Amino acid sequence: MKNVIHVKPQQMINAFLVFFVVHTTQIGVGIHGFQRIIYQESKQDAWFSVLVIGIVSHVIVIVMIKTLEMYDSHDLYGINREVFGTWIGNFINVIYFFYCSVAFFSVLINYIEVIQTWIFPLLSTWFISATLLLLVIYTFLGGLRVIVGVSFFSFMLAFWLIFVLVFPLQYSDPQSLFPILESKFIDILKGAKAMTFTIIGFEILYIIFPFVKDKKNIRKPVHYGLLVTTLMYLAVILVSLTYFSGEQLSKTIWATLSLFSIVQFPFLERFEFLAVCFWMLIILPNLCLYVWAAHRGLTGMINISAKKFIWLFSCIVLLLTFFIKSRIQINSINNIFGQVAFYIVFIYPLFLYVLALVKKKLTS
Amino acid sequence: MIKKLGLVILSLTLLIGGCAEQKLLEKIGLITLAGYDLNEDGKVVTTAVIRQVDQEFQSMVTTSSAVNDSSLGALTEINRKTTKKLMQGQMRITLFGETLATEGIGSFLNTLSKNSSTSSGILLAMTAGNAKELLEYPYKNINDVGQEIYKLIEQNVDAELVTSSTLHEVSQDYYSVGRDMIIPIIERKEEVIEVTGVALFNKDKLVGQLPAKDSFYLLLIRGKFKSGKFETTIPGDIFSSNQSDSSEPVPVVLDTISSTKKLKLTDKNVPEFELQINLNGRILELDAEMDFDNPVEIEKLEKAINQSLTEELKSILDYCQEINSDVFGLGKQYRSQVRNSKLTHESWHAKYPTAKVNIKINFKILRSGVFE
Repeated sequence: MKNVIHVKPQQMINAFLVFFVVHTTQIGVGIHGFQRIIYQESKQDAWFSVLVIGIVSHVIVIVMIKTLEMYDSHDLYGINREVFGTWIGNFINVIYFFYCSVAFFSVLINYIEVIQTWIFPLLSTWFISATLLLLVIYTFLGGLRVIVGVSFFSFMLAFWLIFVLVFPLQYSDPQSLFPILESKFIDILKGAKAMTFTIIGFEILYIIFPFVKDKKNIRKPVHYGLLVTTLMYLAVILVSLTYFSGEQLSKTIWATLSLFSIVQFPFLERFEFLAVCFWMLIILPNLCLYVWAAHRGLTGMINISAKKFIWLFSCIVLLLTFFIKSRIQINSINNIFGQVAFYIVFIYPLFLYVLALVKKKLTS
Repeated sequence: MIKKLGLVILSLTLLIGGCAEQKLLEKIGLITLAGYDLNEDGKVVTTAVIRQVDQEFQSMVTTSSAVNDSSLGALTEINRKTTKKLMQGQMRITLFGETLATEGIGSFLNTLSKNSSTSSGILLAMTAGNAKELLEYPYKNINDVGQEIYKLIEQNVDAELVTSSTLHEVSQDYYSVGRDMIIPIIERKEEVIEVTGVALFNKDKLVGQLPAKDSFYLLLIRGKFKSGKFETTIPGDIFSSNQSDSSEPVPVVLDTISSTKKLKLTDKNVPEFELQINLNGRILELDAEMDFDNPVEIEKLEKAINQSLTEELKSILDYCQEINSDVFGLGKQYRSQVRNSKLTHESWHAKYPTAKVNIKINFKILRSGVFE
């Protein structure tokens, strides 16, 4: 059992903190503009798509936890090696490593693009990415407990943003939601699939599981985390569907930020500027947890220190941000990543669970 | 030591590289209003009202205009005439000239929505005649014409005398299937600027106008109406105690306190709608002798008010159907009630002129002031 991860008690985290980890990894840059992507598929019934994918994510998490409990202190990388053997297992781990890295990269470039389109059109890409990467390096070197702390604070400090939706609600027209369930069922499912990029993040559970102190109590916080995320997305999509008229929504790239742009205070004319800046708090746990997950995968295969890894990783990411700049490039990365992520996050856990089950039956 | 030095160098590069573009108030001109017209050659004439602040903190308002093919190109053109860099972030209002509105303002709405430096809360209005003339007139009592127009429309929107025409609300209608947009019309009358009417559109083209007093009915049907004053006339012969010439119509000023609106599609083939409006209100002015303690009299009065409201509403509706502008959102109702209608702007506007609306208005008098 060389794949068992031995974690010192002082490096472990409490089960209830997994709530923040799951929730903050899910909420990221996707929420800025997921509305029009689903709307293209399921029109005014887009909120059903959100509901469907929310329920599906709960099911997947049940399967994930079942798989993890079969091997008591393994993460996904270890389980892969146990189930498929070292060679194939490591091959899958490399894919997963790249998945985490691309997730990191995609969050970063999407956020940079938002800053450049909304606030500082002339601000150079390298500057924003360097600033963010330094922040990530700092947090990452603090270890898992610091990263989890960041997600806790990210949740606490940014949760209030959801209440700002009350302002656009004044301009919304519930009529746009009717007729309910006009779209075909298949279109609603397509819309749910298009949500992938926005709702992923809970797969972090696969990696963080061995680090949880009281593993028996992990179910509750994970499901609550998912529930809060789903409810949040549901609120945002419902407000968006009623606030924008159909074609308008499908032309709005960052509908959530446009929702904020109607908000005005006597002391703050343009609320969305504040929101965009605040979003750094929201994406920070995203970035940290993905790079942490990538590192976990790599250390199992080759011997590399955390310090060396994070600097190397950051340099590569920084270099890559020079090449990917235009909306079309970023959009196609999001699309391809969303497609791949669907199989990695929603299909692979089912596959792995069945295989692990079969293997366990055969060996016993 | 080397590590520390490295960190210092790193943070210095970030500090220096991170200076985003500066926007010093003394060095920029704030465009508070932009007006667009179309000239004879089909080019866009842009007039901007610019507020500049100098070092002594005195602000100065100037207007400047340029001719160009595009609205933003004209701004660059205006920039060449000013000493300060022009910024759109404080833009509060956009005006369209009448000829431009007739040609269509869709591309302007698109450009405005695209621009992240302008808020989606900016107000839109149409000028009767040219926007340039209205803005460049040397008003005696108005210092800042941009601020004046903004305050004028904002105040009227707050009092629910005209429909709110923020960029978001107008483009919501523009991009929707089944509701056409309306924006207020402003006009210069000697030395003052006033709201004179409502411009009705079909998609993005101006097709008709209604006088300002009819805004009330539009507000009522579009469903955003909460409370407001309006005036109507009722036939004089309903008052039994009336000594004056009984056939003459009597004006009534009413103030609604609450209202509910229900629009329903009753027959999708015609299409036929049922519009039920319940109003609760009080009488502010009535130029006739009347006994407000007599329930029979009150009922008579309510009936007369209902009748006259219905008639006026009907005539507005007929007018809108005639010019084919669905400002009431009947199409939206149709789309939301008919499954798989696949309604488009064209298919709805083919049905709309022959649509039938049965109007039922129920006005209830709650109070009539402190003196009989």
